[in-house]
Amino acid sequence: MIKQDINELEERSIFVIREAKSKFKNVAALWSMGKDSTTMLAIARKAFLGKVPFPVIHIDNGIDFPETYKFREDLARKWKLDLMVVDSEVKPDLSGAACCGANKSIALKKVMEKYGFDALIVSIRRDEHGIRAKERYVSPRDRNFKWNYKNQPAEMWNDYSSSLDSKGHVRIHPLLDFNEIDIWQYIKKNKVPINPLYFSRNGLRYRSLGCTHCTTAIKSGARNVDDIIKELETTGIEERSGRDQDKEKEYVMQKLRALGYM
Amino acid sequence: MIINRVTLLGHKDHGKSTLIGSMLITTRSVSEERIAEAKSQSKKLGRKFEPGFILDSFSEERKGGLTIDTSRAQVKYRDSAFEFIDVPGHEELIKNMISGASYAKFALLIVSANKDEGIRPQTKRHIYLSRMLGIDKLIVAVNKMDTVGYSKDRFERIRKELSEFLEKIGVESRSVHFVPISAYGSENLSKKSPNMHWYKGKPLLELMREMAKKKAGDSSDGNMRVILQGSMPHEQDSLLIGSVASGTIKVGGKIKVLPINFNSKVAALFVKGVKKKTANVSENVAIKLARQVTGDSKGSVVYDAAFKGAKNTRNIGALVFIVKKIKGQVRIKFNGIELSGKVSINKLIDTTTGFEIGPRSAQQLNAAIVDIKLDRDIPAEPFTSSRELGRFVIYQGDKFSGIGIINSVGKR
Repeated sequence: MIKQDINELEERSIFVIREAKSKFKNVAALWSMGKDSTTMLAIARKAFLGKVPFPVIHIDNGIDFPETYKFREDLARKWKLDLMVVDSEVKPDLSGAACCGANKSIALKKVMEKYGFDALIVSIRRDEHGIRAKERYVSPRDRNFKWNYKNQPAEMWNDYSSSLDSKGHVRIHPLLDFNEIDIWQYIKKNKVPINPLYFSRNGLRYRSLGCTHCTTAIKSGARNVDDIIKELETTGIEERSGRDQDKEKEYVMQKLRALGYM
Repeated sequence: MIINRVTLLGHKDHGKSTLIGSMLITTRSVSEERIAEAKSQSKKLGRKFEPGFILDSFSEERKGGLTIDTSRAQVKYRDSAFEFIDVPGHEELIKNMISGASYAKFALLIVSANKDEGIRPQTKRHIYLSRMLGIDKLIVAVNKMDTVGYSKDRFERIRKELSEFLEKIGVESRSVHFVPISAYGSENLSKKSPNMHWYKGKPLLELMREMAKKKAGDSSDGNMRVILQGSMPHEQDSLLIGSVASGTIKVGGKIKVLPINFNSKVAALFVKGVKKKTANVSENVAIKLARQVTGDSKGSVVYDAAFKGAKNTRNIGALVFIVKKIKGQVRIKFNGIELSGKVSINKLIDTTTGFEIGPRSAQQLNAAIVDIKLDRDIPAEPFTSSRELGRFVIYQGDKFSGIGIINSVGKR
């Protein structure tokens, strides 16, 4: 995994977040309390001199880890976040892709409609998954949340323009160019508070966090940020190998994203 | 580590995705798991394993064998790292190519040596466009050498034809490197191939490493330009936010803001949330001025008050690469804002030859020298003074129609 220049990555993210804020009327961000969306909030605080100037949404299916809920409450207080918790269902007969696709996306649609958000900041990275490599910094979704990946807007020279379907919205991806290891470099350099589930306990840690139903821990002795960076420098295993949804069937991520999943 | 962004040009089926896939595997820049996954996918589809599958993530791409949109791959080779922006090979998707190419440090062109393929008109158009976008460094990889018996003749013929074209459009062909490869067989990628003893140059990845080490030419004249995105509230003030496109902004400096014609002094600067005395190129900055700007500042530019090159204009002369026919009233996207303008075409240029063509010739995928009269003032500058303020995108209605670089400003 290639370590990039995090200063350059941070500047690009600040630019994209500020551009979103000045271009769109009603911006919100998704926050899963994971390492990526928490890093995004840390960058937004720098971009806007200590304040996150938009609401942060947690789509809560009620089955996240207890550590995750505690982390949410602590950081929301410390950073004075405008936190919106949106309940999402868990249907007992669904799992993995179907579960995230059906439940979280439905809950997200409802909250977007209710508050009229026209831009949603989502902290995906290109190196997470081949499909995410195709994304743009600013990516339009139609009113049904569909991603028309065959007809994406031209995006060049910091001109992230896109014509909106009147009832659609745009996804803003400020962390697109970060690699997994860059996130950890950033966390280290900036002392970003982080969910304790990422650190090893009894020889196990979470490398990618979803809810309790579809995330499994990996074998690891990494007990702190430095250990994790060292581990990532040598690993041959993909980041999302502990996430069921990516493995079920070929192209499942493509289908999920086209349907509006994050 | 600094990543060198490389744009990959070339006609479809000439092997762009295969080359990136092979580089990823050869340099071990991709996990074993990903390679195994690509192998099992191609098996499921009943096809022979193809290194390009590592890159092509969409189901249609694997089935159809072509790349739909810009995708990204990072290759680490010795002390250098490269990011490939794989651009699609068909003409209707040229806007995706521009998106990828606009960020690149150098270009890598792939031409198939195969007798049925070779240099296509589109190959030349891609070169013309990447030159226009300001990419002046180029490596040409002549691919599929295994299909022509590793023929030196075939390689030399392609080199000669392209060199002539490059000279015609103003590229010194001596500065362009040509290398014969087989992407499929990983030949002449990191090691010299025993099948092409006649080739005396370096393998492709070594050439790229040399390219990465060359310093990029300064893209501007060094004068201070801060392009504004808007403003933000901070305590009792309203701060301007933007990024430094060139030069250095300093606390205490006298400034002017165009096109709004506003003069003031820099009272304070913030970079990444921290108070600073100066801010430099490519830094995002928040600026407190001695007196506050009222109204919308998106797309405005902060200049040194004494800089003579900064002026408002409604008239620009430009070179435009036309993606879809343009005529009369157009929309211009400049520097994060949108304007309306009236375009008149003075001259059409065939991008496959570099020669002028008649005014009734097809515009699409050719270039034009144009004059544009805008509906309001902007602080435009020639591309040679400022890349950021010397370029724009054209839409006709809601259709992406072309890109332009500015040659001259003001009435002629």
